[in-house]
Parts: sequence; C-alpha cells; structure tokens
Amino acid sequence: MNDGLAGERQADAMQVVMIGLGEEKFALDAGLVREIIDPVPVTKVAGARAFVPSVINVRGNVIPLADLRIRFGMPQLDDTAETRIVVIELDLDGEPVLVGVTADKVYEVTEISQTDVQQTPRVGMHWKPEFIRFIAKWREEFVIVPNMERILN
Amino acid sequence: MATILTVDDSPSIRQMIKVVLEPAGHNVIEAGDGAQGLAKAQAGKLDLVITDLNMPVMNGLELIRALRKLPSAVGMPIVFLTTESNDTVKQEAKSAGATGWITKPFKPEQLLAVVGKLVRA
Amino acid sequence: MSAMDPTEIFRQEASELFEVLEGALLDLGQRPDDRELVDSAFRALHTIKGSGAMFGFDKVAAFTHEFETAFDRVRKGEIKPTQELISVALAAKDYIRALIEDPQSTDDIIGEAILDDLKRFVFPDQAAAPVAEMVAPPLVPVESKQAGWHLYLEFESHILRNGSNPLDLLEDLCKLGPCFVVPVTDGIPFLDEMEPEDCYLKWDVKLHAACDKDAIDDVFMFVSDEMKLTLSPLAHVEAPAPAPLFQLLDEEPAPMAAAPAPPVEAAAAPVAEQAVPKVEPKSEPKPEPKLEAKRDDRGIATVRVQAERLDELMDRVGELVIAQARLTQLASSGSDLSIKMIAEEIERLASSLRDTTMGARMVPIGSLFGRFRRLIHDLSRGLSKPVEFVTTGEDTELDKTMIECLADPLVHLIRNAIDHGIEDTATRSANGKTEQGRIELAAVHSGAQVLVTVKDNGGGLNTARIRAKAEEQGLIAAGAVLTDHEIHQFLFHPGFSTAQTISALSGRGVGMDVVKRTIENMRGSIDLSTRPGQGTTVTLRLPLTLAIIEGLLIRVGEGRYIIPLSAVEECIELTAEDERSRGRNFLNVRGNLVPFLRLREIMNASGAPDRHQKTIIISTGDTHVGLVADQIIGNHQTVIKSLSKLHSDVTMFSGATILGDGTAALILDVAQLVALAQSKVEKQHISEAA
Repeated sequence: MNDGLAGERQADAMQVVMIGLGEEKFALDAGLVREIIDPVPVTKVAGARAFVPSVINVRGNVIPLADLRIRFGMPQLDDTAETRIVVIELDLDGEPVLVGVTADKVYEVTEISQTDVQQTPRVGMHWKPEFIRFIAKWREEFVIVPNMERILN
Repeated sequence: MATILTVDDSPSIRQMIKVVLEPAGHNVIEAGDGAQGLAKAQAGKLDLVITDLNMPVMNGLELIRALRKLPSAVGMPIVFLTTESNDTVKQEAKSAGATGWITKPFKPEQLLAVVGKLVRA
Repeated sequence: MSAMDPTEIFRQEASELFEVLEGALLDLGQRPDDRELVDSAFRALHTIKGSGAMFGFDKVAAFTHEFETAFDRVRKGEIKPTQELISVALAAKDYIRALIEDPQSTDDIIGEAILDDLKRFVFPDQAAAPVAEMVAPPLVPVESKQAGWHLYLEFESHILRNGSNPLDLLEDLCKLGPCFVVPVTDGIPFLDEMEPEDCYLKWDVKLHAACDKDAIDDVFMFVSDEMKLTLSPLAHVEAPAPAPLFQLLDEEPAPMAAAPAPPVEAAAAPVAEQAVPKVEPKSEPKPEPKLEAKRDDRGIATVRVQAERLDELMDRVGELVIAQARLTQLASSGSDLSIKMIAEEIERLASSLRDTTMGARMVPIGSLFGRFRRLIHDLSRGLSKPVEFVTTGEDTELDKTMIECLADPLVHLIRNAIDHGIEDTATRSANGKTEQGRIELAAVHSGAQVLVTVKDNGGGLNTARIRAKAEEQGLIAAGAVLTDHEIHQFLFHPGFSTAQTISALSGRGVGMDVVKRTIENMRGSIDLSTRPGQGTTVTLRLPLTLAIIEGLLIRVGEGRYIIPLSAVEECIELTAEDERSRGRNFLNVRGNLVPFLRLREIMNASGAPDRHQKTIIISTGDTHVGLVADQIIGNHQTVIKSLSKLHSDVTMFSGATILGDGTAALILDVAQLVALAQSKVEKQHISEAA
C-alpha cells in the first residue's frame, strides 16, 4: 500500500498545487498538473479569445497558454522572478488537451481536505460562480479551487 | 494483500474483476482506458496490472509498452484480457512486455488462478 | 462506479465489430488473397463470440462459433473466399446482428439455413459435415504411468523484466510433486558484464510425479515462447529421489556464489554450450516449429509495423528537424568552419531521413477505395440506378493520416454522383446512353501531389439552375457576367443545394462546403468540371503528406509566420505607388489587379513597419492574393503541429511549428486568407457601387 494511491480510498483528501494570481490563491488539482516550468517566449495568436492569447513550445509540443487573470477580471502583472507556467492536462469534450497556465507564483504541492471546503459564497465575489469548484481553507486563508474545464471552455 | 489495477473500458468487466479479487483480500483500483491506467500506475506502486487490449485513448499494447518504461514497473506482472485463442495477439502483447493473459470469457476461479500465479504473498 | 448495463455495453461493442467485419468481407471479395483482411474478419468474429458468451448471448456465441469454424478454413488457406461465400458470410453477419439487436425478428431456421449454406461452400466435399469434429483436435495421448519428468529450463534473459519470476514457476512445479532442482550456472557472465535485471540461470529439474504433460505446460503457459523447455519422461531406472527431495530455497543464492567454478572455466563454458547442446532428450517437440516455418515462408520482403510506431518515428524525425534547424542557426552565426560543415552534413541526413520516414508512412489508396463498393451497391439498388463502379490507381500511395481524412469527403462525392449525377434509366435510354451508369474513382501521382478524381457519366451540372439558385440566395446580382466555372463554385458555398427533391440519401449531413473545407484542411484543393449530358468530374489535389512541409518564413511586426511554400507564387516589393494607395486593396502585378492583405493589420502587429514592405503572392487554384509582410526571412522546413482545441475558433492559422530558436510560429491558412481578401474585395465593390 502506498500514499500515491490515497485518492482512491480517501475521497475527502485532495492533492493540490497552490498558485498565486494577483492577490488571490488558487488550488489546482494536482492530478491535472503535468509539469511546472519557467516562463518561455510566447507567440501571440491573432484572433484568439482573450484568455488564451498565445501559444508556447513545451518539449516540442505547441500548447496554448491561458491567462486565468483575464478570466477572473484581475490585472495582468509583468513577469517576475517568481512567475511560472503550470502545464495542466484537461479533458475537453472527451479529448485530453495540454494547456499552460501563467501563475504569478507557485507556492507548494499540498493536501487540502474536503472538510475544509466552504460552500461557494454567492455574495461578495467578483467572479462567476461557475468558474469555481469550491473554496477551501489553507493556512487560515481562503483558497479557490477553480473549475478549469469550465474556465477554459 | 496486493494492489491490483484493472484497466478496461467496459465498467462491467472492471466490476467483475473487482468483485472476484476484493474478497480474496486484494485492493483493486480501476481505470477506464490506457492513459488513466498509466496515470494510476505512475501514482504509486502496483503488484499487478490486468488490462484489456482494445481500449480508447491508449490501447492495452500501448499501455503495456508505456508501463514497461516506468522504472517503478520493472518486474511488475502485467496480464492482458483477450478473446483470441490464436497466438498473434498474445505474441504481440508479450513482446510489448506482458507477463501473461486471461482469455475471455473467464470464470472467477480462472481469474484467481492467474492472479495466484503471478502475485505471491 | 457507474452500474452500466453490461448488455448495453456489449451491444455497442458488437455494432462496431460488425462494421469491421462487413468491411473486411467486402474487401475480401476484391482481394481474396489478402491475409490481413481474412485475419481482421476472423478477429472480429472471435471477439463477438467471446464477448457474446461473457454477457449471456448464448445463441450469438453458438452461431458465431460455427461461423468462425467455417471461416477458419478460409483463414488456413484451405478455401478461397469466393463471391458466393462472401455473400453468405454477409448474410451470416446480418443474422448475428439481428440476434443481438432484435432477437424476436430472428428464426433459428434461418440461422440453420445460413450455416448450411456456409458449410456447403466451406466443406464442399463433405456437405454439411459435423463441424464439431473440426473443433477439438485429438489430444496427444499421454503416458501417465511413468515415474515422472525430466525438465531442462532455459529462460530468455529479459524474462524478469516482463514480470515473470522463474522461482515462482519452479515453486508451481514443486506443487505437482517432489522436485529435484539443480541450477545450471554456466551462463553467468563476469560481474562487470552482468545486467542486474537479466536472468542467467538455467535449471535442470527432475519431477517425480506421474502428472500429465498438460499440467507442466500449464505451469509455463505464459512463458512458453520465452524459454527453452525440453521435456522427457523420466526413465524408471532412475531411482526416485527420497521425498521430499528438494524444497526450493526461498532466497535464491547469489548467482556468483552459486558458481564457484574458476573464471577460466566459466569463460569457456558458453563455447562448449554452443558446440554441444545440452542433452537434448528425444522428446516430442512442441508444435511451435511449424508456426515458425510458416512465418519464414512469408519471406522478409515486408515487415508489419504498428501505425503508432510510425507516428512516433515521424514525431522523432520532426524533433530532429527542429533541432537541426537550431544547429544550423547556431553554426551560421559563428565562424567555426568545421561546425558549419557538420551542420550541413546533419541537415542533409535529417532531410533524407525525413523522406525515408515519410515514405514508410505511405499507404496505397486502394484500401480506401474498397470501402466504397458496398456504398455504391446499396445506393444503386436504393435508387434503382444500375451503376458500374470502376477504380484505377489503387496502388497510388498517400500518407496514412490523409487516407483516413479522405473517407468522408469521398463518401459524399460518390453519393452525389449517384444521386444527382447519374440519371434514371429512362432518361438515360431516351438520351441514347447505356442504362447502366458508370462511376470512376481514380488516383494518380502528379508531381508532389496526388490527384483523386470522382467521375460520373451522368447528366452533368445544371449551370442555369445553379445560377438561378445563387441569384435567389443573393450570392450574385441578376445578370452579372460570370463564367460557367465561376458559377459552379457556388456549389461550395455553405448551405447551397440545388437538389429539388432532397432524397433520403443525399441532402443530409455534410455538404460540399464541408467537403471543400476538409480537403483544404489537408492543404489540398477541390475542383469541378462538367460537360452537359456527359457527366461531371470532381478532382481533389492533395499533398503527399501532412507531417512536414516546405514553408516560407516571414516576419510581421515582432511575430514570425510560415506560409506553405506550395501556395507561394512570387515575392515582390510593395512599390511607393502601392504604398500610397491606402484604402484600396489592389496591387498591380504586371497589369493584373491582385487584391492584397496587410498582415500587420490582421495580426495586430506592434512597432513601426519596415520601410520596404514585401508582398508575397499566394494562390489557390486561379485566385491570387498578395500578403504584405515586413520581412521575408527564407525557406523553412516546417514540422506541422496542430493547434489545440482552445484555438479551434481561430481559422486564420492551420497549425504551428517550432523555429530554430525554440519559439513557436504559426502557419497561415492560405485558403482562409484568400477568402478573407475576396470578401474585402466584395465589400469594396458594394461600397463603390453604393
């Protein structure tokens, strides 16, 4: 027995990669994350939707680079020494799709438990509730577990 | 007790394997295609993989080849399910790295016999 | 875990298998000697039988078993798949389908009649011979009254890696009876040559149990083809060793420790081993040599490679070409002559490797053509239009991915040809034509392209009706002067159909616009030609491959883009006069007016434009369009990567590639840009007319 398969048996714990976007913290399901890389040169795609403005080369694959900050109506910051690209694999209409997500900072890989989960509050949020799977608590802070399929579709 | 991964796009077959192996004291994990199966195998150490060959996304042969490239899967037994009695498919799967096979349709005792052959207490 | 109905799952599975089976059977009528078709039909049958039994479709399993047994004679090459046999096999397939999908509609008598027919073709000499006899091969009688078995076991060295454990197998052997196990250590190499994951030990086993040979085979069932097993009955003379002779040690002694032989001897051992094979008892050999011999007969002229391996190979070659581009860029920026020479050498090698690899991906188009025979057969009966179907150029090779993409467009074109092209028999006779129509599907190489044509000898396009429809839809002004060819292009407009009666066959699903788009997505083009009363020919021009193209690398602002070189006509400098004519969208190329697009505007380029803007003239068919860019960088071997779903709404680019410096560059979709330029021209016409 081993811990890597814990998700199979313990449905209430969830491995996440904690990233920072602007002032907010987001928890990405670690099962989606393929790798985390330093920023690379981007290629703008004219005519693409604002939240997938460009493509990048990740190990010989050309993949879209998504900017969640645009989706959440947050200001875009210039790249800093802490900026990273989190490469995730999503299932879009039954097809696995690799997508890069710009993060202003990557904190750590950690576990949040469903007992920490807060129902999505309807008030006081300046973003669309359907983009959020749920809110969890991490180190006394509220973090957003985003619904990536919804955000990118 | 062993951790066994069953990879099959047919939920009914997976369920059947689970129902047979769990009472025998094994921990059964499921995956619906080769890619999911590979992800689960990467997530932790397994004692045995039972995979179908015809699957969407990543078929059984591809899965077997991919598993054999994982350092953690060196020497891990991999069994495939087949309806073939001819040798072509078996040879192909074996050269891909499979350890053995179970011919469909199979009875619970046949499944247990094969698992018993490859998984030692 | 969702509790899906297993029956439902089986039904879905089976319906896919029926398609495979039907396709294989139909193709077999055309190519009766194609082993692969026979195998694929057989496999489909086998799976239907196996899964049917698993999910309680006993009638299906029983019937399919008989079918399979009969078909096995074809597989073994004992019977030729004649047209009659294939017709019966198709009927049998339909019967199994009915057994699964609508068992109420079936009748055992029909099934038996079909089986009788099958048997009549398959066992002509023994009409309706009891099939069961064929099934069970007589078992080799086993002497069970013997002292036991002497086994010599030698495994292939990789056996441990694939999850088999010889110790477990020996343990299983011990369960059959008392065993005397002696490891043979002469295969163990020196320590520095030893692969820790390889198996070097061999075993000599005396099994003192009067068990069946089958029981022993069972133990080694999974590894029989990865080992040498010599098996001989243990002579009575040999005194049974005292039981319980040798309990296998749980921990295997370290291989070196078990081989105390001095190194000199150990080194000599393998040679001796080769010269004098281990006592080869006169045991009955396993039936494997036969198989082996058969395989040898087929020769070494071709090797079957799995499609995905070819895809992988192509990917690797693509990466190599990209890496080579980086090397070339690096070499050319330095002054080291020897590096430049190496870079050139690698460029040459990469390009020839690319050609070889692309060659290996080529598949004859005949495999696709065969699929249309049932379609034509069914359509021609459904519409009561007898049609002769002729194919030529089946040997013409195309990239396998393209063959897959071509299937749907060709189905549509063939359907159109029968439904709208070929006239009904009365009309044909009235016009002095043969009652039977003719559809020709042909493929031929033409330079770096392949031309695929669908030709019918029907009534031809009704130009007047197409024109009327175009006017009705507001695509052209009434009375506008257009050539027939220009009028025919309206057939490719979305939602354009002149069929007055939409038949059950045509007029649903894809239209000609979809066909055109599919072909253009493959970087091909489509063209129509027609002669009233004599028929229509649709010509598809396709590139040989989809994976790597020659491209022209250009710069627009800070972005770099690729234009497929096959679409580039020429590059010219934008004259001062053209520059001044902002607002107008035409360029004067040797007296011809060519519409042009400023890529800087389209790409929202930032920064100041270069002083001398360049124009690349591209064309699709007869239409020319100029693209204005800041700089033409040069030719580029372009490895095509598709854009992801998230960019499927962006139509201006057909894909992306990776440049020498590792950044991604987008590939311009020529057809889309031409369409964009033309729509601008039309708008201008309208605004000028207003």
